[in-house]
Amino acid sequence: MSPHTCSVKSLHEELRENLTSGNPAHPWCRQKVSEIFDLVHDVSQGQAGEKHLDSILYLAEQLSEQGPDSACRELGQYVTVFVNQNHEEFLSHIRTHTCPTGHCPMLTPAPCQMACPAGIDVPSYVTLAGQGKYAEAISVIRSDNPFPWVCGLVCTHPCEFMCVRGRMDTPISIMDLKGFAAEKSMSSRQYLNPEPMPDNGRRVCVVGAGPGGLTAAYYLALEGYRVTIIEALPVPGGMMMVGIPRFRLPREVIDREISMIESLGVELRLNTRFGTDVTLESLKSEGFEAFLLAVGTHGTYKLMVPGEDDFQGVLPAVPFLRRVSLGDHRMPGRRVAVVGGGNVAMDAARTSIRLGCEEVHVLYRRTHDQMPAHHEEVVEAEEEGVQFSYLTLPREITGENGKVTGITCVRTRLSKPDENGKQRPVPVEGSEHVVAVDVVIPAIGQEVISRGLESFDQVNWTRRNTIRVNTVTMQTHQEAVFAVGDAVTGPATVVEAISGGKKAANAIHRYFEGIAQPALPSVPVRRRRLEHFEVPAALKTDLQRPQMSLLNNERRRVTFQQVRLGLDDNQAHNESKRCLRCDICIRCGKCVEICRDKMGIEALCLGYIDFDNPGPTDLRITAERCIACGACATNCPTGAMQMEDHGGYRVLSLCGTVLNRLQLEYCEICGAVLGPARYHDYIMQRVKDISPEMGNRRVCLECARKQSGGYHAEISPPRQ
Amino acid sequence: MSQYYLFQDQKKCIGCMACVVACKTRQNLPRGPFPSLLVTIGPRWIGHLPRTAYTFMPCFHCENPWCVAACPTGAMFQRAGDGIVTVDPDLCVGCKTCISACPWGAPQWNPNTGKAVKCDYCHDRVEAGLAPACVTVCPTQCLYFGTPEEIPEIRRERYARARAHDL
Repeated sequence: MSPHTCSVKSLHEELRENLTSGNPAHPWCRQKVSEIFDLVHDVSQGQAGEKHLDSILYLAEQLSEQGPDSACRELGQYVTVFVNQNHEEFLSHIRTHTCPTGHCPMLTPAPCQMACPAGIDVPSYVTLAGQGKYAEAISVIRSDNPFPWVCGLVCTHPCEFMCVRGRMDTPISIMDLKGFAAEKSMSSRQYLNPEPMPDNGRRVCVVGAGPGGLTAAYYLALEGYRVTIIEALPVPGGMMMVGIPRFRLPREVIDREISMIESLGVELRLNTRFGTDVTLESLKSEGFEAFLLAVGTHGTYKLMVPGEDDFQGVLPAVPFLRRVSLGDHRMPGRRVAVVGGGNVAMDAARTSIRLGCEEVHVLYRRTHDQMPAHHEEVVEAEEEGVQFSYLTLPREITGENGKVTGITCVRTRLSKPDENGKQRPVPVEGSEHVVAVDVVIPAIGQEVISRGLESFDQVNWTRRNTIRVNTVTMQTHQEAVFAVGDAVTGPATVVEAISGGKKAANAIHRYFEGIAQPALPSVPVRRRRLEHFEVPAALKTDLQRPQMSLLNNERRRVTFQQVRLGLDDNQAHNESKRCLRCDICIRCGKCVEICRDKMGIEALCLGYIDFDNPGPTDLRITAERCIACGACATNCPTGAMQMEDHGGYRVLSLCGTVLNRLQLEYCEICGAVLGPARYHDYIMQRVKDISPEMGNRRVCLECARKQSGGYHAEISPPRQ
Repeated sequence: MSQYYLFQDQKKCIGCMACVVACKTRQNLPRGPFPSLLVTIGPRWIGHLPRTAYTFMPCFHCENPWCVAACPTGAMFQRAGDGIVTVDPDLCVGCKTCISACPWGAPQWNPNTGKAVKCDYCHDRVEAGLAPACVTVCPTQCLYFGTPEEIPEIRRERYARARAHDL
C-alpha cells in the first residue's frame, strides 16, 4: 500500500479516539462531534454525497464559533482546516468511491483496476459479462474507455499481470472477456452511446484521429462540446488503423467504434494535414477555442548503420505497415530481415509472411526473455514461420546495383548487470556474418514528426522530442493547448493514449468552466458494487483459463484474417466465475489470521492473498475443517466473507465462492436456529471436562435463560 | 464462584426493569443483547388472584465457567483475584462459542461490535467502591450486592417471622 495516509481515514480515526476518550466532555459539543464523525464515516464507506462535505464544514464552524469551551472551539477549527486542506481527497472519495491508498476498506480498488491505465472497473464488467449482461458491461467499460472492442483484441492488458487469480493459478482472461462482451453487444445492437449533455456551443479542435484524440473527442462530445478532428491520413484510427495489422485488429472493429463516436456529432476531417491544409490561424478564425495535439509517433528511428540510405529495400516498419494497411499488398521482397524486438517488429514480420515473403528473420540484439514484444505475439510469429536471431546486432547494410543484398551483423553477449540490474548487449569481435536478404525493415523505435506544429510556439518539447505536458491534466505550456498519446509518451499503447485522452477531456472541460485543475493524479472510479454470484468452491478451483482457438496456421500464413477467434459463450461465462472479486475482498488476511491464530481451526487456505509471496491455495479444505463459527465473516471489513442461514443450511461464502455448507440444528423448545452440529461438537469438546453429561442439549439462548430463571418458589408448581 | 454474590429479593421486585435498562445503558448496547435479564414468570392464578413473579438473571460467575472453557481465544476469562468472569473485547473475535456453551445464556451478542458482551458485575464500579449499576438503580432495593457473608438473612428472617405469626 502507498506510504501516503488517507486523510479521510486519519480524520475518522482521530475523531473516534477523541470520542472514545471522552473528548469533548460538553454534551452539546459531543453531539456535534459525533455528527461529524458519522459524516466522515459515510465518506470513508463510500456512502456520502457531495453535501456531506458542506455539512461537515458547517458543523465544524458551529463548533468553532459557538463552542462553550476552548477545547471544543479548537477541535472545530482543526476539522475546518483539515478538511479544507484535503478537500480534493475528500471529494475524490465521494465522487469516485475509491481510496487509492487502501486505508478505507470499502473503497479499496482491485489491483486490475489500479493497473489499467484507463482505470476501467474490471471486476464489475467481468461479473456483468459472466451474467450475460453484455450491454451493461460495455457501458461500464465505456465510462472509462470508448474502445472496448479494440482494447478487447489488442490491449497489452497490464490488468492481467496484476490479476490476483494469477497468484493462485492463471490470471483471468480480462482482455478476451472485454472483446467478447463488445462483440456480443455490437451484434445485438445494444452497444449504445450514453445521452450527451446539451450542446454548449464551444468548439474544440483535436489534431490526430488516433485513440488519444478520439477518446478526448468522445468525452468532450458527451459534455456538450462541438469537436472537430483533423486527420492527415485518409482513414481515421491512427496507429490502431495503420500500425496494428488487420490479422490482429480487423478494420470493421475500429470503424464500428469510431462511428459510435462520430454519431455523437464529432466531425472528422480526413486527408487534412495540420500546418499545410489548415493552420492555427485558420482554425482559430473558425471559432476553435482549445486544441488537443494527438499526432502520434509516425516517424521512425534510423538504424544508424552504413548503407541504410544507399539502397532500395530499406523499409522502416511504420511506413511499411501503413502502406499495407492502406491496401498495398505487394510483397516487399523474397527474403526479409526485421530489426528490433518490440510489438511493431512482430507485426512487420508477421505481415511480411502474409505478403508471401519466403524467409522472414527477426534480428534482436538481446535475448528472448528481454524482448519487449508481447509473449503471445512472439509465439504466434514463431508458429507462422518467422525465424528469430537473438543476440544479433546489425553493423551494415550491403547491396548491389542499388538494391539490398544482405545485412552484416555481429553476435553480442550480455554485459554484467549494472547498478539498475540492466544488461547491455556487447558486440563479440570477429563474429561478423551476413544475413542474405532483399529487404531490411528497421523497427527499433518511433518519434514524433513535429513538422507542421511550429505554430504552437509556446509548447515545450522534451529531450526525446515528445511534447512536454503536466501529466495530471495533459496541459502544455501554451494556454488552451493540450496534448496526449504517443506524442507525449513516446511510442506506447492504445490504452495509455485512451487514458491520456480521458484526462485531457476532463482538463479541457475544467478549462472552459473555470474549475481549478486537479493537483492529484486521477483516481480510478468504482462504477458499481455488484453482488457476487454463488460458485461452489470446487468449481472455482477447477475452472481453467480458456484456451482461445486460433485460425489454422495455413490460413494465417496467407490471409489477413483475424488470428484469435474469440471466446465462446460457455468459456466466457466460466471465465467470469473464476474472478475472485478483488473489488470487494481486499485480501487483508483478517479471516485467515483469525481462523488460524485465534480460533486454531486453520480452515482457510488462501495463499493467494499474499500478493508478493503467494502460498498454496485450497478452497476445498474449508468444507472439511470449518465449524461455521462465523468469526471470519464478523471481522471482515468489507462484507466479502459472509455467513448466512438459508434452506436449512449455514453457508460460508467468500465473494460468492461457497466455502462451507453445514446443516443447521434447531432449539428443542422453540425451534429457533442453533447452528450446525460440527459447531456444537466443537464447543462440547472444549467444555467436556466441566460438564460431561450435558452433551445432547439442543436449547437456544432464550429458552436456556427462561428455563433456569423461570422458576419461582411461591408460584411455580413443584419440580418433579 | 466469584467472591461476590448478587441476591434478588423476589418478594420485593416489581418488575420495573430499571436494572435491565441500567445494565444496557452502562455497556452502551444496541437492540438485542441483555447481559442481565429480568425473567417474568406468570401471571398465574394463585388462589383467586393473578400473580406474577420476576427472576433476575445476570451471570452467575461460575466457579468452572463453560464460557471460559469454550472460548478459543482467551478473551473470556475469570479474574484471578475476585473470580469475576468477563470478556476482553480486544481478544474476542466473535465466534460465539461462549454464547452457545453457557447453559444460562449469560454471554450475549453485540451486533454493533461483533463481539460477545456479558455481565461483569460492573467491576470498574466495584473497584471504585460502588455497587453494580443494576443494584444502584433498583427503586425497591430488592437487589443486594456484596460478599456472601454480607448478604442479609432476608429469607430466613422472613420465614422466622411467618412461623412466629403462625404461633
